[in-house]
Amino acid sequence: MQETVANPWFRASFREWIFTTDHKKIAILYGMTSLLFFSVAGLMGMAIRLELNQPGVQYLDPDLYNYLLTGHGAVMLLWWAIAFWGAFSNFLIPIMIGARDVAFPRLNQLSYWFFFSASILVLITLIPSQQIKMMWTGYPPFVLHDTAGPTGLYVLIVILIAGSTLGTGVNFITTVLRFRAKGITLGKTNLIIHGLISSIVVQLVGVPAFVGAVVMLFLDKYIGTGFFDANTGGDPVLYQHLFWFYSHPAVYVMILPAFGVFSEVLSTMSKRPIFGRTSMIYAIWAIALLGFLVWAHHMFTSGMPQWLRIFMSFTTVLIAVPTGIKVFNWVGTLYGGAIRLNTAMLFTLGGIFMFLIGGLTGIPLALPAFDINVHDSAFIVGHFHYVLGMAMTLGAFSGVYFWYPKITGRMYPERWGKISFWLILVGANLLYFAMMMVGIEGMPRRYVDYPEIDYWVTLNQISSVGAVFLAVGVGVTFYAWFKGLSGPEAGRNPWGSPSLEWTVSSPPPPQNFDSFPVEVADDWSPYKYH
Amino acid sequence: MEEALVHSEHETSVWPMAVGASILLSALSLLSFFHWQMPILGIVLGGAMLAILAIGLAGWAREAFQHAPEETEVGTIAVAAFVVSETIIFGTVFVAFWVGRIDNFDVWDTFVPAGLEASFAVWLTFILWASSIMIVLSERAFTRGDRKNAMIYLGATLGLGLLFVVLHMNEWIHLVGEGFTVDANVYATSFYSLTGVHTSHVIVGIAINLVLFWVVASGLMTRERTTFFKGAGLYWHFVDIMWLLVAANAYLIGGAF
Ligand SMILES: [Cu+2]
Repeated sequence: MQETVANPWFRASFREWIFTTDHKKIAILYGMTSLLFFSVAGLMGMAIRLELNQPGVQYLDPDLYNYLLTGHGAVMLLWWAIAFWGAFSNFLIPIMIGARDVAFPRLNQLSYWFFFSASILVLITLIPSQQIKMMWTGYPPFVLHDTAGPTGLYVLIVILIAGSTLGTGVNFITTVLRFRAKGITLGKTNLIIHGLISSIVVQLVGVPAFVGAVVMLFLDKYIGTGFFDANTGGDPVLYQHLFWFYSHPAVYVMILPAFGVFSEVLSTMSKRPIFGRTSMIYAIWAIALLGFLVWAHHMFTSGMPQWLRIFMSFTTVLIAVPTGIKVFNWVGTLYGGAIRLNTAMLFTLGGIFMFLIGGLTGIPLALPAFDINVHDSAFIVGHFHYVLGMAMTLGAFSGVYFWYPKITGRMYPERWGKISFWLILVGANLLYFAMMMVGIEGMPRRYVDYPEIDYWVTLNQISSVGAVFLAVGVGVTFYAWFKGLSGPEAGRNPWGSPSLEWTVSSPPPPQNFDSFPVEVADDWSPYKYH
Repeated sequence: MEEALVHSEHETSVWPMAVGASILLSALSLLSFFHWQMPILGIVLGGAMLAILAIGLAGWAREAFQHAPEETEVGTIAVAAFVVSETIIFGTVFVAFWVGRIDNFDVWDTFVPAGLEASFAVWLTFILWASSIMIVLSERAFTRGDRKNAMIYLGATLGLGLLFVVLHMNEWIHLVGEGFTVDANVYATSFYSLTGVHTSHVIVGIAINLVLFWVVASGLMTRERTTFFKGAGLYWHFVDIMWLLVAANAYLIGGAF
């Protein structure tokens, strides 16, 4: 009665695809949608780089430029850095805990349709009269002004995305709490599950604040309420507080799953158990929790009581402790290991490297004395592209390479993967390091134009060259993934990992495991190497 | 292990997509009505949305009750997680209220309309409490196997919920008539938001209880699988508790002090 493995997910019929409740197919749907929007947002970023290649306004009129900035930011954050992990959660979590599927398979499909509906609304913004130009932050009072574009569209995009994340959150929290096979305790589950679930918990608590904030925008704009209107006693800075209450933790939504990938890949590719495993779990959850106590560091120039600045500055610096623990433990895991430098491993090491640069530039940014000087400069843009842009993307790419044999049943071409990695690493560092430097020199972010200062021009051109390398590198990875589909058969467990997903065939059969309940040995661990 | 036994050929369901389509329609309806200034189109899309949503939810409930092999306790965890989210949504409105209250401490008196009666909020509280008791009685009757009384009590829950909404809207009309409109001042803004976000939850709760009424009346729900009943009850109590906070802030801290 069971469908055989010889018929992998990519041979499923169209009907099966659109009505599926199978977590693996839904994962592919998320992944494909996400990659498509990632590519479009990447091209938007390239257009911005092209315009900034020299001073003056050459290619893009300022309105279009604002649209591209908004689109690049919103889509990269919501459709890529957050949504791509939805693909990982869907594909990996049920298999890693020995479950047949998620707790609510239909709700899981509905979550995807929320995401899909939001995607349709984003496509509407491609119509020139519907371009949203308020930046992904949507600050009032500008957002209420007609030159900012259709506020309603922005608000509804956020709400539909929120619907998707809440559905996913409720579903996966229940799944991990109740559907783990016997013997797989929370302390024994894979670290990537902690990474993914902590990010899901952060969303469950944080996203509603974002929803509340944008609903208030909607009411202010269309009903005439005065939440953010100082004339009737409202407070525009209130929006910033509500917005950043979610949107700072959102950076951990993007990076904690990448930390999970780093841990899985490092352990597997150096054949060593994760060093300091328990401290890793505590560090993940400490970061998730502390993340809710630092939001005002985005608002040091917005006006707030001094004690709040000092408090938020302190808590922000405090986050360096659990992140430091993680980096030390990763290095500890490598020590004495039989290291295998394949593409997945390279991307993980590169991701940690990028995270280190982004993290270390983040510490001074936590201090108001420094932050106020570089606020809204290109330095900030460079900084968060190191962390959210690159550490996250390298982590995600590493994850796809690592589980590629499991997902497709085939082996990706190692050579193309490595070429892609070096192109991305070199390109990204040229692009974002030059950006941080020009920011320190005073170049503000978000403007279409800048004055003709020689070293500004040089640094911007270095950035542009880096951007080309980066884009080509990403293209090569896409090529490698495509080419891998006709690669050699991978077998069940090409990396020799004891983790549960590698015990099932590749790609996994529709019911995941041959028999239920799934059983593991008493001393089982996903990182049990000798 | 709820889905463990389901065969791969049954791994599809058309209902989530129907509900998803209604979600997209609701967004387009709001945009048409408010932003694109095509109110007629907005209303038409809204109507279509409600129809598709009703069909989708009904199909979903039927499928869930007919095909899922066994009862599990996972539903209550899910509702609890959802309630955490909901609490934060309410929280944002409370924050907005308090920021306005503190920012405008010295002029707040001028914001309060004459016709605001805290005693009215007390009556509304009693109505919601009564409805919460009714849903508890209904669940007890149902687990006893007494379907008839379960339906009567559930009907009373629905009736009291509706009464709450009607009285509340009446109150709004009355206050607006006095010039206490949403754009009058930040108290009006946060008063209508607090009570509005709450009333919208009451309406969603009524919709959930209607679906519940239907699955109980049609015999789809059996005594062995009352998770949906528990979840709906939990949500209704949550709405009830939130009312206490909303009323205490919107009426007492806003209007009296
Ligand atoms: Cu932050």
